[in-house]
Amino acid sequence: MPVTAFHAPSSLADALALLAAGGRPVAGGTDLVVELAAAPDGGPPGALVSLHRLAELRSVAVEDGDLVMGAGVTVATLREHPLVREHAPVLAQAADRFAGPQVRNAATLGGNLCHASPAADLAPPLLVLDAVVVLAGGEGGEAERRVPVDAFFVGPRRTARLPGELLTAVRVPLRGGRRASFQKGGTRPSMDISVVSVAASAELRDGVLRHARIALGAVGPTPLRSPAAEAVLEGAPATAATVAAAARAVLRDARPIDDVRASAAYRLHLLGVLAQRVIRDVIDR
Amino acid sequence: MSESTRPRGAVGAPIPKLDAPERVTGRIRYIHEIGLPRMLHGAVLRAEVPHARIVRVDTSRALSLPGVRAVLTGADVPLVPFGHGRDNTALKADFVRCIRDEVAAVAADTEEIAREACRRIRVEYEPLPAIFDPEEAARPGALRVWPEREDNLAFNYHYDHGDVAAGEAESDAVVEGTYRLHYVTHACLGTSGIVAAFDSDGRLTLHSVTQVPFLYRRDMSRIVGVPPEHIRVIQAAIGGGFGSKLDIYPYEPIAIFLARATGRPVRILFDRGEEFRDSPTRQPAIVHLRSGARRDGTLTFRTARLLLDNGAHTSWGATTPFVMMQTFSSLYRVPHAAFDAEVVYTHNPYAGSFRGYGNLQATFPIEVQLDELAESLGIDPLELRLRNAQVPGEVTGQGLVFQSCGLAECLRTAAAASGWEEKRRAYAQAGEGPLRRGIGMASMVHTGGGAKIYHSDGCGTVLTVDDFGSVTLVTGATEIGQGSETVLAQIAAEELGIPVDRFTVVNSDTQVKPWDVGVHASRTTFIAGNAARMAANKARRKLLDAAAEQLGVPAGDLEIRDGDVVRASDGKVLTDVGRVVRKLHFATRYDVVTTTAYYEPPSAMQDPGFKGNVSPTYSFATHVVEVEVDVETGVIRPLRVTAVHDAGRVINPLGALGQVEGGVAMGLGYAMTEDLVIREGRVLNGSFRDYKLFTAPEMPEVDVRWVETADPDGPFGAKGIGEAPAICIAPAVVNAVYQATGRRFRSLPLRPERVALELARGEGEE
Repeated sequence: MPVTAFHAPSSLADALALLAAGGRPVAGGTDLVVELAAAPDGGPPGALVSLHRLAELRSVAVEDGDLVMGAGVTVATLREHPLVREHAPVLAQAADRFAGPQVRNAATLGGNLCHASPAADLAPPLLVLDAVVVLAGGEGGEAERRVPVDAFFVGPRRTARLPGELLTAVRVPLRGGRRASFQKGGTRPSMDISVVSVAASAELRDGVLRHARIALGAVGPTPLRSPAAEAVLEGAPATAATVAAAARAVLRDARPIDDVRASAAYRLHLLGVLAQRVIRDVIDR
Repeated sequence: MSESTRPRGAVGAPIPKLDAPERVTGRIRYIHEIGLPRMLHGAVLRAEVPHARIVRVDTSRALSLPGVRAVLTGADVPLVPFGHGRDNTALKADFVRCIRDEVAAVAADTEEIAREACRRIRVEYEPLPAIFDPEEAARPGALRVWPEREDNLAFNYHYDHGDVAAGEAESDAVVEGTYRLHYVTHACLGTSGIVAAFDSDGRLTLHSVTQVPFLYRRDMSRIVGVPPEHIRVIQAAIGGGFGSKLDIYPYEPIAIFLARATGRPVRILFDRGEEFRDSPTRQPAIVHLRSGARRDGTLTFRTARLLLDNGAHTSWGATTPFVMMQTFSSLYRVPHAAFDAEVVYTHNPYAGSFRGYGNLQATFPIEVQLDELAESLGIDPLELRLRNAQVPGEVTGQGLVFQSCGLAECLRTAAAASGWEEKRRAYAQAGEGPLRRGIGMASMVHTGGGAKIYHSDGCGTVLTVDDFGSVTLVTGATEIGQGSETVLAQIAAEELGIPVDRFTVVNSDTQVKPWDVGVHASRTTFIAGNAARMAANKARRKLLDAAAEQLGVPAGDLEIRDGDVVRASDGKVLTDVGRVVRKLHFATRYDVVTTTAYYEPPSAMQDPGFKGNVSPTYSFATHVVEVEVDVETGVIRPLRVTAVHDAGRVINPLGALGQVEGGVAMGLGYAMTEDLVIREGRVLNGSFRDYKLFTAPEMPEVDVRWVETADPDGPFGAKGIGEAPAICIAPAVVNAVYQATGRRFRSLPLRPERVALELARGEGEE
């Protein structure tokens, strides 16, 4: 994309106005800058709207029974913030495995979701936490609209965000008793794009799993939940047989591809292994 | 050089690299920071197809772009063939034979304009069938990459000693296997580049990253038609070389042609994509190896057949069998050995030299197969290696003379330091759960003082002690980041008795420095070190003679310590070297203290059967690695590496430690994560996002130890350490993984995908 202008508004209202005029938001730039460098002439020209001055996008707080994280919160903050570690430890766990320190210091929560890579590491944890994204601007002006993360990813690199809209925050409903876990696999432990990632969450009451969620990364066109595995887990006893059955069921919802990073065969193999591990971890936690 | 060692503290001191402050503060000038007045920026358009006839090249849309100063195609420049096979040219006029092939080049006011102009050049290709599989290319009747040749065989090598059939007849156990080594790239942080400038007399100055500045002048002269004496090479600080800058590559003469066409200096810099795609790789190899032993573990014979993919053009990769055969013939005592290698053309990109120069590819099959042999004989792998290890004084079947040899001590030290026996025993019991541990070892031998592949393997030095007691050491040797400046200063400082911090090392300008072959074959410490020591010795004698005359005492009663002239008997300071030189300038002799030395190692060029002592000395090492394998995900975690090296006397333990740690990281990447994926002649993962170096979080603890054999010919007993640390870690990993999983891998890298899927497929050999 040939960049015609670079704006750095200092208020959300100004930012929304610039986005309404066709600007493209940029936060940490860890995906966008790579994309611009790879194809400097790709796509129509446009203006960039930097969000780095918008302090209101960088708060983490508990409000109305939700953990509310601004879209501009960096992955490094997610990894360390006490409220995230307390209420959404699985998100901190994913943030810990996210790229390397330099990228974590720049990359943001909103950017990771809006880039909508099938391998986005923050997506599976948010999917199993029933997170909701908050969108402002667009047709609605400054009014907000809320979309479950589940409905946010609509295709490869495509989201439910409408032209002119800005993802301002992510809300995770607090739920006592919820346990969750995340795992990813790649060629090396650090600085790697996930070949497969898996998150799971559930409540465990009297040895029975409730509100089970399992979400997968890098095995389909978007980060996705596995209804088949969730159906196996829901109301099932927390046993090795349940774990094995759910890990098998996960494979039914995966549609991995072959690429230079991994074959579809390995993605399925690894998915089965990591799914067992996260579910077992949820049970044992 | 057998004068007694007088310890003064410079040799053996862990001194930080002299250029470290310049590097870490970003002040050092890499090729990317060399700018000249009126300089233009060049860019190269390369083939988009691996094999095609160039039908026409339309440069009009490039020429019309404002800021473009010249556009060259194969029709505009002399097409003098160059390279080891004389099969490469700066630009290609009629056919392209691999995706690297250079079709056109642009000089423009900015790099952006030059690259944009390249995008505007329209090349019409007639695509032609291509051949990418070396085994297919080696078959009779295969599609020929060069139709004017009879077949695709670019080079072949045969070596033997003893009588292999007799050796086989004496064997109680024989094992064989086929081992496959893959493409990896140097991944230099500093990308390749050059600045070419003609002066008004037609003399050419090249700011270059070459590792071989003097040979570069000679070879470049022929390609671009400038007399060699009119070419000055100034070496910019190299941001990583590892062998990748040992040859001339087409972008370099292209920059010269662009400079000639425009009458202005031209700089060409690779971007990261070009560095991955268009710089040489490590030579891939298919090795069929067979070896045998008696029941007691004594090796009886070894035969190897190798097939190497030459790619479409020949660079140094094609000559790696020269080094490989040293390992096949001489790593352990092998009474009978035969080695055959064929190098075949394909339409793939071509390989160059890369730290170890084929030795990683040779040591891998040998050391993996030794473990198989040990298992079939029921002998511990350490025991088998010790039984066959060479000893000092050994003359191998190939005629290599191991006048100092610490291999057995490396093996014993590595075993003791790693807890080999108890861990070997403990890990023999397969654990529960997905995490399994294993421990493995491997050793290596490598030239420790160059390789006499030219009639000279020498290095010159000019040393001056100035009137304030500072020393300028002008060496022919090239600094490639390995720390040669520091080591050479330490050697000369030790000899002279003047502290290292008074030294300036000058080594980057062919107009100033004396001849040297270049930086390769782990030769600089040994050869340039000896030359520096000789020059320092002459300077010391001159200083002492002058001081003796000035002080009226016999020279034999004096010594130089810490820059002072002292009475040898009690250390009393009588004068200092600056004063001695000043007096020499002004009063006593009207002379300077400038000495020269040229050191030629006592090595030999090999005969046509590849026999002869190619290096004056050899370095040895043993690496032990302990791994934890997640048998479900296939992830291998190295827990601890014990690296024991015989590099002779260690001149600088800090620099040597850095060499070993860096080499281990590079070798672990080769073993487990690095894989330049080339399909149908195209590089599929040309970025750091998808090409996985071994990074800091993956690095295990590396316990580095020295077996300090004192080489009789080494400077203060030193031998080379540059390449050795990368060579034998990969087979140690494979041997450890075998103990952990029961799976013997015969090819690299052990990426998690491959490990997991092969383990899931069940027991047995690959």
